[in-house]
Amino acid sequence: MSHTVQTAPAPTPSEPTNRVTLGWTNRVLARPEVGALVAAVIIFVFFLSAAPSFRSAESFFTVLYQSSTIGIVAVAVGLLMIGGEFDLSAGVIVYTGGLVNSMLCWYFGMNLWVGALVSLAFCLAIGFLNGYLVMRTGIPSFLITLGTFFVLQGANLGVTKLVTGSVSSPDISRIDGYDSLGAIFSSSFKIGPVTVWITVLWWLLFVALAAWVLTRTRTGNWIYAVGGAPDSARAVGVPVIKTKIGLFMTVSFLGWFVGMHTLYRFNTLQAGNGVGNEFLYIIAAVVGGTLLTGGFGNAVGVAIGAFIFGMTSLGIVYAGWDPNWFRAFLGVMLLLAVLVNLYVKRLSTARKVG
Amino acid sequence: MTVTDTLAQHADANLTKGEPLIETIGIGKSYGAIRALRGIDLRVNAGEVTCVLGDNGAGKSTLIKIMSGLHRHSEGTLKVDGREITLSSPREALDHGIATVYQDLAVVPLMEVWRNFFLGSELTGGRFPLAPLKTRQMKRIADEELRKMGIVVKNIDQPIGTLSGGQRQCVAIARAVYFGARVLILDEPTAALGVKQSGVVLKYVAAARDAGLGVVFITHNPHHAYLVGDHFVILKLGTTALDRNRADVTLDELTTQMAGGDELTELSHELGR
Amino acid sequence: MTTRRFGVRLLAVAAVVTLGATACSGGGRERTDDSDSGGGNAPGSSGFTIAFITHETPGDTFWDKVKNGAQQAAKDTGVTLKYSNDPDAAKQAVLIQNAVDSKVSGIATTLVTPNALAGSVKAATDAKIPVVGFNSGLDQYRQLGALMYFGSDETLAGQSAGQRIAQDGGKHPLCVIQQAGSVALEARCAGVKSAVPGSENIQVNGADDAAVTSTLQAKLSQDKSIDYIVTLGAPQAVDAIKAIEQAGSSAKIVTFDLNAQVAQDIQDGRIEFSIDQQPYVQGYLAVTSLYLNLKNGNDIGGGKAVLTGPSFVDGTNIATILPFTKNNTR
Repeated sequence: MSHTVQTAPAPTPSEPTNRVTLGWTNRVLARPEVGALVAAVIIFVFFLSAAPSFRSAESFFTVLYQSSTIGIVAVAVGLLMIGGEFDLSAGVIVYTGGLVNSMLCWYFGMNLWVGALVSLAFCLAIGFLNGYLVMRTGIPSFLITLGTFFVLQGANLGVTKLVTGSVSSPDISRIDGYDSLGAIFSSSFKIGPVTVWITVLWWLLFVALAAWVLTRTRTGNWIYAVGGAPDSARAVGVPVIKTKIGLFMTVSFLGWFVGMHTLYRFNTLQAGNGVGNEFLYIIAAVVGGTLLTGGFGNAVGVAIGAFIFGMTSLGIVYAGWDPNWFRAFLGVMLLLAVLVNLYVKRLSTARKVG
Repeated sequence: MTVTDTLAQHADANLTKGEPLIETIGIGKSYGAIRALRGIDLRVNAGEVTCVLGDNGAGKSTLIKIMSGLHRHSEGTLKVDGREITLSSPREALDHGIATVYQDLAVVPLMEVWRNFFLGSELTGGRFPLAPLKTRQMKRIADEELRKMGIVVKNIDQPIGTLSGGQRQCVAIARAVYFGARVLILDEPTAALGVKQSGVVLKYVAAARDAGLGVVFITHNPHHAYLVGDHFVILKLGTTALDRNRADVTLDELTTQMAGGDELTELSHELGR
Repeated sequence: MTTRRFGVRLLAVAAVVTLGATACSGGGRERTDDSDSGGGNAPGSSGFTIAFITHETPGDTFWDKVKNGAQQAAKDTGVTLKYSNDPDAAKQAVLIQNAVDSKVSGIATTLVTPNALAGSVKAATDAKIPVVGFNSGLDQYRQLGALMYFGSDETLAGQSAGQRIAQDGGKHPLCVIQQAGSVALEARCAGVKSAVPGSENIQVNGADDAAVTSTLQAKLSQDKSIDYIVTLGAPQAVDAIKAIEQAGSSAKIVTFDLNAQVAQDIQDGRIEFSIDQQPYVQGYLAVTSLYLNLKNGNDIGGGKAVLTGPSFVDGTNIATILPFTKNNTR
């Protein structure tokens, strides 16, 4: 007995497919970064016309620098959010990474390279712990990382105070390894009058890497799947736990990276700093089209989100307005982004084309 | 070209009808102090559809979870291809050729059709971590396979969430068969579907059977079960309430048992109408 | 098997590298005996217990020094010190109430939000517990019933900074506020503005050094006429140096408060001067005055507030002060 399905004409397998190509408007609108890109262009043009000192290459690269210090961690936070989780400890871990490096080397008189590697291992361990606890207990990552956030915030202050007798870390600029590490994490070079910070290049590199991983590799497929529908992903054999723990560790890795930049640029760190930046990362990701509930978004969008952040935070200064309004402006941006995301998601899923 | 032929292309040629693929002997599962399932004897034979029926909370989903590797059984033995094993992850079950299609968890709605088709079994250009996906090839294969099975999606790049419920189930089944499933476990595939879409899914069930696969069809609809089933098991409160071959049971018996059987008769006396 | 052997080898390599690096690096901690900077609060021999309550947000070097001063005073006078802090006004009020309930001998507290703290302070005076104000609350401490006050006048401090800037020919200072909505910080900037009318305020995110630097850099390139940057905290002064270098500006830096790095920068001429309100003295005097009051019925300041600042730290006196900043007492 044979069952022929009559619901559709069955073409022979070798025949080239005659897919319907959707109109370009539909395809473009379904991309996560579109809302952010439109917003970025509008804001850019707006500041170009409103702030004369915004219209120079120097200013543009200052904006890029500001964006990169947020954007590097935001890329990882974006990946994590696509994977369906949050990390509230991402802001503080930046300073944890720097403090571990500086105090270890200062106290024991070690080469800074050793301290940097120990600090890296330490940060990765925190990322692992975050992921492991979330996956093991099933408690929402919001709560677990809120715990890590407070633990790190307290430990940053407490340990710094114990080691140095003050709440800022000692100056490390005369310890061996300072110059070579500085060249990697916090150097800059000049193109004409323009200063280009190396973090901008690192940022672009990390964004490109994340974009490649997300859309072109198996890992990327898994990241979308564990964020969109973890149970379905698990049922078809995706290693959900490994993928998510890996994402948490990516966040702590890039947190460490920015921690290194901050340390080697400023030589000393305030142990209480970094608090609040975790929200900036999340804002950059959400403004860039990442779905708060996971499974949707991309790396370029997050980068644009960070750029919008850098542009508005400095654009207001370039325009000479009262920067007190900046936070309010950021909030409005976030609300708009969330609305655009909602609209886009409806558009791309509710359309029945079958 | 018929669906059966297509399925037969991918089905394991070594499958002989009637050969037992999965066998459970006195299998059971306790969650702490609660015994969700006990003493279940079940055989899933190649080329046959084994229907598992039961009310909510009868232990159907626990049974599936054991067979698909989501939970380990706590008593009895589980044999796959005659060898006793314990499945510790869905991946391990898949490696044994056991694929499960869940009612509401079949696919990742926001991901494209082709990505869903290959999820967990992606084609990559190498084994190194950043190896590129063979995107073009994957899209082509997914499109072809779906067409062969009579599922036409307008655009293989559209999120699978835009397809109808029946189509999503079909994509999930097609995917399982394409990746060499020998046992197909279907969890309530028709529960959320209308009559016409249920029909489409049932045709796939029959086609898979005819291709020699062992099918476990979980449902609470005896009518759907009777259309395709070779063997019927009814679970009640974690134990087997009925275990018959098709020849030994009628649709009326199944329906009565499902509706509550003797309890229902008792109830009708009590209500006195 | 092979992986384990590999792991062991890796560990060995790591150990050798660490040892090697440990042996040959300089520039770290000076390995001498720890200087006796803060000192612990040894069990009091004078029998008094003093509650010391601030609105410190954890992580500020300023409060570190206040605390160090209080601890040293407790040690010197044999008082048992109970330190507690909360930046939230309502919670600080509860801390004061706690101290009253546990029947301490005296209470030293900051009075940054007088209205919120009035009830708790009254409870203390009703229970005949002497209260001393410090750091903030200059205008209200009498009304609330506090006996004495040790602190600086923020507006006055800002004014003296502004006057000195004006003397040196500054026309357009930029006053950097690192924390939104702080009355004390706004008062300092207002003081600067009263002496130099061309002064302008800017709000930065003090919790992120990179953000402070790029914001200041942006401001400097937007407005080339800025000739002075007035930072209200020591860490921001260090950020401002970076920003001036980047923007290629010739603005000079003036800051409130001190830390070891700012002291070094003053000595090296990168920072003009610092307006110090001597936090160590605030902590030290608050505790000592309570001790004297309890022991001997003394009143310090002759019924008026005792000002601990503004004290200028510049090229002329930095050589004396620099060592103290390393002890975290200035």
